[in-house]
Amino acid sequence: MENTETGERTVETKDLQISMGPQHPATHGVLRLVLDLDGETVKKCTPYVGYLHRGVEKLGENRTYLAALPLTDRLDYISSMNNNVGYVNAVEKLFGIEAPERAKFIRTIVAEMGRISSHIIWLGTHVLDIGATTPFLYAFRERERILDLFEMLCGARLTVSYPRIGGVKNDISQEFMDELYDFVLDFPSRIDDYETLVTENRIWKERTVGIGVISAEEAVNWGLTGGTLRGSGVDYDVRKYAPYDAYGQVDFDVPVGRNGDCYDRYIVRMQEMRQANRIIQQCIEKLPTGPVMADAPKFTLPSKEMILKDMEHLIHQFVLISKGPAAPEGEVYMGSEVPKGELGFYFISDGTGKPYRMRVRAPSFVHASVLPRLCEGGLVADVIANIGTIDIVLGECDR
Amino acid sequence: MEPLEIAENIREKFPEEVLDVREFRGQVSVTLRKDRILDVCRHLHDSPDLFCDYLVDVCGVDYLGRKEKRFEVVYHLYSIRHRHSVRLKAEVPEQDAEIDSVTSIWAGANWHEREAFDLYGITFKGHPDHRRILLPEDWEGHPLRKDYPVKGPEKEWSGFQDVLDRAKRFHEFEWHEPGE
Amino acid sequence: MMTTGSSHYDLDRMGIIFRGSPRQADFMIVAGTVTKKMSEIVRRVYDQMPEPRYVVSMGSCACSGGIFNTYSTVQGCDTFVPVDIYVPGCPPRPEALMEGIIKLQEKIRAEHFRWSRWR
Repeated sequence: MENTETGERTVETKDLQISMGPQHPATHGVLRLVLDLDGETVKKCTPYVGYLHRGVEKLGENRTYLAALPLTDRLDYISSMNNNVGYVNAVEKLFGIEAPERAKFIRTIVAEMGRISSHIIWLGTHVLDIGATTPFLYAFRERERILDLFEMLCGARLTVSYPRIGGVKNDISQEFMDELYDFVLDFPSRIDDYETLVTENRIWKERTVGIGVISAEEAVNWGLTGGTLRGSGVDYDVRKYAPYDAYGQVDFDVPVGRNGDCYDRYIVRMQEMRQANRIIQQCIEKLPTGPVMADAPKFTLPSKEMILKDMEHLIHQFVLISKGPAAPEGEVYMGSEVPKGELGFYFISDGTGKPYRMRVRAPSFVHASVLPRLCEGGLVADVIANIGTIDIVLGECDR
Repeated sequence: MEPLEIAENIREKFPEEVLDVREFRGQVSVTLRKDRILDVCRHLHDSPDLFCDYLVDVCGVDYLGRKEKRFEVVYHLYSIRHRHSVRLKAEVPEQDAEIDSVTSIWAGANWHEREAFDLYGITFKGHPDHRRILLPEDWEGHPLRKDYPVKGPEKEWSGFQDVLDRAKRFHEFEWHEPGE
Repeated sequence: MMTTGSSHYDLDRMGIIFRGSPRQADFMIVAGTVTKKMSEIVRRVYDQMPEPRYVVSMGSCACSGGIFNTYSTVQGCDTFVPVDIYVPGCPPRPEALMEGIIKLQEKIRAEHFRWSRWR
């Protein structure tokens, strides 16, 4: 409009509010972001979650400890082995039992395989959102090998319920070990393939260096964990600070970034894949012999052959499945390092077979809350890079 | 520092607030009154030998019928520098279900407290963005309370009832009847 | 679903590509648990698709609610959208999803007078 006094033209602008709605190709699930834009700059970003809230905590209170295990599979459905390992370790701590050595090493192996599988999906989808289509297809080729190994192990590709309270469900076969060893020897050259495409790429560096910067103190204050925190320079890793399973007996490094931007987090996760490979190799070499289920009759189920032969074992299994194991009264919190961060389980037990309160501390929930802090002041294209770099899975965020 | 030493430190500094100290499997829970929870948390965050800089989790618990004060807000704290952890439990009665928010100390408490409000109905004084997070804004009831049924109340949520009605209305515009 | 779209179990050889907008899509895959908060958006996406349109319900949770029988999950997406093909499984194998999509293609081929007098 024209200002008649001075004859100048003034332009009126208004902020645009768009909803990067729950159904969107680039939001990795049902996450809704309402962005207030001034041109291309994001002035305010409000995330809305809860579109996948299934009431897992409420369901956990109505099921026995063994029956709640498949619920934990479906929290972070991409790396379900790690969720199971975290749950089983927390329950074992509550009961006061310990899995045999062989089971601990097997659980470490499958947890690290799950970590590689989850980071592969992160890599594929993150670079796909930014614009590169090739690493997605290359990376999924490796993931197919890992999922085939899971199927050989326990019958399921994705939502396994293989780690059980007291150990693991069944022993591993020699065929599995041979194939796994082939995979482990082959994998570092594959990571080199992905890195050749992406790491020194000019476009990738333009899109990720200096984007989503968060300092170390602020990251700790916001409660970030996992790769998102280690990109800012803090080396907090539950596997080193409070080791569980066989992590105390293997040798591995924890990669740490410097600047706290998207590029550093990318480098941290690529290095984590290499370290996971190293852990699996050491576990295969050090794997001890022995049973795979703890000898704690009050808490663990007997083996299937004994149940089908013997009356006493049949009754034992019946009581454990219907009433649940007699947990001692008390409360316990245990954190474990899943690929996304620190997954914590907090159990309050009142002496019955069902938990009185089952609380799941999900890393994706905390990481999604830091999105406004990362996105405000940046451009719309950086929002996509930030969503990819914090590595959230909405199944875990909403529970 | 050992967990029991941290509990003793809190008991020395705030003797009237601490109600109970309990240990189980090497982890210590300190039960407190809810009035000065902000001071206790600030002491734990700022004091150099405790330095709990990482707030792991804030959650609510419902003890319907089992304890005098119905709710409890549980804080899990961890110190990355000293590698020690502690659990604080603040008792919140049902009639006056309000407690101070710790978002001024740890920014990460924001969404955890919103979730505790959403699922239990505990209000947090001083919270910057106090509204529901996981359930729709106009949901009635607080699901994780012990007297809320698992499958939901008899009456359906109005938003979902709208979707069902709309599906029924739009069905009359379909060309093809099912089963025809 | 991502695995079915990538190289090992390629969906592109069945003539299927993923589109970014429902306005350009022929069919919609409802995958995963549908919650009551999300049901409104799923219905809106279905309404945005131009006819002829089909719905594939993938996974036990989308078919019938799955193991989550709680206050916030919809017990099956067929309560508010008409579904053509159900692919059960938790999660369904990539081969199962492909079989479901091929069955949808066969169903379309055998259609008669469903969308208008000529098709």
